Amino acid sequence: MTASAITQAGERDRLIVKLGEIDWTFCLFITIITAAGTMVLYSIAGESWSPWAVRHLGLFAVCFFAMIALALVDLRVWYAVAYPIYGAGLLLLLAVAVIGHSTMGAQRWLDIGPVRLQPSEIIKIGLVMALARFYHGLSADKARLSWWLLIPAAIIAVPAALVARQPDLGTAILIAATGGVIMILGGLSLRVVGACALALAAVAPPMFMFVLKPYQRARLLTFLNPEADRSGAGYHIIQSKIALGSGGLLGKGFGLGTQSQLNFLPEKSTDFIFSSMAEEFGFAGCAVILAIYAAMIFMALRMASVAHSHFGRLAASGVTATFALCVMINGAMVMGLAPVVGVPMPLLSYGGTVMITMMVGFALVLSVRVHRYSEIARSRGILL
Amino acid sequence: MIEPSVFMDEVNERQGVFQRRAFLMGAGFGVGLLALGGRLAHLQILEAERYKMLSEHNQFQFLQTPPPRGLIFDRHGVVLASNRPDFRLLLAKDEDIDIDATLANLNVLVPMDEARLRRLRADIDAAPAKAPVALVEDMTWEEFSRINVRAPELPGVTADMGEVRVYPFSGAFAHVIGYVSKVSAKDVSKTGPNADPILLNPGFRIGKQGVEKAFDIELRGKAGARKVEVDVKGRVVRHDPAGDVAAVPGSTIQLTLDADIQNRGLEIFGEDSGAAVMMDCRSGDVLCLLSAPSFDANRFVKGLTSVEYQALAGYDRKPLYDKALSATYPPGSTFKTMVSLAALDAGVDPERTCVCHGIWNYGGRAWHCDSVHGAVNMHNAIKTSCDIFFYQTALLVGPDRIAAMARRFGLGKLFDIGIPGQRAGLVPDPAYKRAHFPKDPVWHGGETPSLGIGQGYLNLNALQLCVMVSRLANGSTALQPRLIHSIGGIVQPAGTQAPALAVPKAHLELVRAAMTSVVNDPGGTAFANIKSHLNLGPIKMAGKTGTAQSHSYGSGSRKTANVAWALKDHAWFIAFAPHDDPRYALSVLVEHGGFGAAAAAPKAAELLRVALLKDPDIRARITAPPLPAMAGATTSAT
Repeated sequence: MTASAITQAGERDRLIVKLGEIDWTFCLFITIITAAGTMVLYSIAGESWSPWAVRHLGLFAVCFFAMIALALVDLRVWYAVAYPIYGAGLLLLLAVAVIGHSTMGAQRWLDIGPVRLQPSEIIKIGLVMALARFYHGLSADKARLSWWLLIPAAIIAVPAALVARQPDLGTAILIAATGGVIMILGGLSLRVVGACALALAAVAPPMFMFVLKPYQRARLLTFLNPEADRSGAGYHIIQSKIALGSGGLLGKGFGLGTQSQLNFLPEKSTDFIFSSMAEEFGFAGCAVILAIYAAMIFMALRMASVAHSHFGRLAASGVTATFALCVMINGAMVMGLAPVVGVPMPLLSYGGTVMITMMVGFALVLSVRVHRYSEIARSRGILL
Repeated sequence: MIEPSVFMDEVNERQGVFQRRAFLMGAGFGVGLLALGGRLAHLQILEAERYKMLSEHNQFQFLQTPPPRGLIFDRHGVVLASNRPDFRLLLAKDEDIDIDATLANLNVLVPMDEARLRRLRADIDAAPAKAPVALVEDMTWEEFSRINVRAPELPGVTADMGEVRVYPFSGAFAHVIGYVSKVSAKDVSKTGPNADPILLNPGFRIGKQGVEKAFDIELRGKAGARKVEVDVKGRVVRHDPAGDVAAVPGSTIQLTLDADIQNRGLEIFGEDSGAAVMMDCRSGDVLCLLSAPSFDANRFVKGLTSVEYQALAGYDRKPLYDKALSATYPPGSTFKTMVSLAALDAGVDPERTCVCHGIWNYGGRAWHCDSVHGAVNMHNAIKTSCDIFFYQTALLVGPDRIAAMARRFGLGKLFDIGIPGQRAGLVPDPAYKRAHFPKDPVWHGGETPSLGIGQGYLNLNALQLCVMVSRLANGSTALQPRLIHSIGGIVQPAGTQAPALAVPKAHLELVRAAMTSVVNDPGGTAFANIKSHLNLGPIKMAGKTGTAQSHSYGSGSRKTANVAWALKDHAWFIAFAPHDDPRYALSVLVEHGGFGAAAAAPKAAELLRVALLKDPDIRARITAPPLPAMAGATTSAT
């Protein structure tokens, strides 16, 4: 067994040992995908480091070291700050609803001095940690089906509702889906899961008609038939599919993607970066990236499952769920399989806050592995 | 080493559930990613070709390049209409561009007045989205290069070199050739040749008058294309010369006109208003088709200002009106040739005389003549233009025969000369009156003498009179006038491909001889005016004067010397030369010119002189060495 070599007490807390416990292969995959993203950003800027590639790479460098540092932070500390981070995220979400900065018609940003904060990103990590923290103290029976489950439901519903109000439907769905996955992993009765799925199917049509804003409705409908509105809501999907399809098996070549170079592809550096990449590197390049994503999901789940603490398991798998859902939703969106919602492709898409969130999340996953033997005492009560 | 907690049931259960469900979750995501991969393979491998095409369709556009408009030549290859480079500025309509700021910047480089700026704004607003708008045309090279250098200050503005029509002889051919001008909204049609998108090209012009209009499609050619790579806003990023499609230039059109004659015609008309039409009476080629005064067709290409247009339209000598084709006038005494031929055809003896006392009473009113001619036969009646003779001769022959003869010579007819705008005028006869005058369907007795001197309802245009005199001079063929020599090298049917005239030679000889006397014998109406003589030695001209009332005199004076211009008579002169071997025939009209002999005959003489002196055969006749006997006499005298 790997742990057998460690005999002395405190041996596991030594820095060098901890560094050795970090899954460097996982780190390598993170780096490869970010490097690919940087390449695409460089290419679509007309083979220029500015404005995206240099900042993407620079932020990644900073985040990478922060991730390693955070991975060394004891899991008990993560455990201790779970509720505070969730609480802070929730407060910021409330703040953004009141005084937030509006871009593209949605209030998503909060300017704090020089920093532009996107609280919906903070809450992604906060939510995972808070749910893991809660389930850590919940017995299997109660986690299966009890009134206690109203608490995690509220933990999920409040931020999801606030984010949906911004309006940022993509992130809201992501938050709700991540929360749902954690509840299921936490042991929610499968009957309840089935009942919820049925209920969701029942409420979806009236939700669609009365709750969604007209532009959201249009987007949802358009993906089914983008040709119906070529210059309007269908434009994104049509151009994205053209970019993807015209890339072919081997791509048009580095710097030669006409769809993105000539700006036919909208949001080519953020939400639709996968299409830019697909155009220039073809199916071969995309398949490699998707395979790396699959490997990362597999490795992260394995790291989660080896944790001894329930908090560790759920936190790591929650982060993995967020990450995987991002990949799936974005991938489906750019391929015309899902409506266009603002969910970026992790590590590929340009965007500061998303990168920070993802790297902090990965730090948590790595920390769970590094501290997989840590025992976290169950608190006296469920909440504290 | 086994952790003790593993053995705790409850903890064990939580971990077990997690492991199972995490495995399922991983499997779920794995399936999801596989699905994405499958979708990718579908798009990128199975449908790649379709999307590659769509992508190219996005990326490349074909920008139309206007074809060079076909040139127009005269019979000797003198260019009458060509194209010159036009330096111009185009503005790409784009939401990114602040049009006001751009215009303000442009104003510094190319000063423009308020009205011009306002018109530009209207043009820009009216132009379809994405279609570039021509901001400034016809810049000097200095302006063009200045703007090219300062281009970065003028976003959306591109300098380019187009072609614009130019008419080197600005006015002389304006009515025949017409002009091109900007395409207006009503020029563009949904179908047919004017649905061609090239019409929307900035600065593209189409023919609006004359040959330019009639042969617009032939002259237009076929647009080419420039293959360019464009970005999402439609801005050109790169040009791919390999993908260009060359424009097909428009066909060349050669006219039968002679630039020297036509130009001289406009000169000699000066401020006079009228028309001159000359034909080669052997071939039917129209050598001159002039309406004066004229206008500068080049101004129409640029676009007239309303002030300019008002000035042209308001001038009482109507420069915009084609007096050679579109205006009809009574032919006056020139018509006496037809009356004579009708009489001869009816068997009237040419030596039959009428006695002219200067006045003749018929039908209860007095019919006047210019002077007292005494007893005149047909030859002298034509020579002196005696009205009394023709009043009586017309009555003798009757209107039907006269009208039939006139029509045989092409009067009242429309000719297929290729350009629009001819008016047929009218050769009246009793049948016509019955059909077209329901209130007064009777041919009155007084109408026949009027017809005899080319008045009354009789109305003809200058081309018809030229055709008439050409057929008279030709003698054997009912010549058709030909204006278009060739289109794109394809020669048009000659005017000689026409039926025979079928008028006895002797009759024609008699009339031609009388016409020769008109100019060359004392007493002839055109003899007294020295300017009406050709002065080309043995080459003589034969002609017939005509003075047509422009309004009814009633009982007033017929003196025309001091009346207002618009009330004066129209002056006609028809002629051919040489009198003994006719080659050139013409008709000259001077609107409100007074007497034909004074106003029209000198112009006819000058135009014939130009034509004759260009003809090498004629030159040979004129410059033939003097007879040996004469030469001897000259030598001995020295």
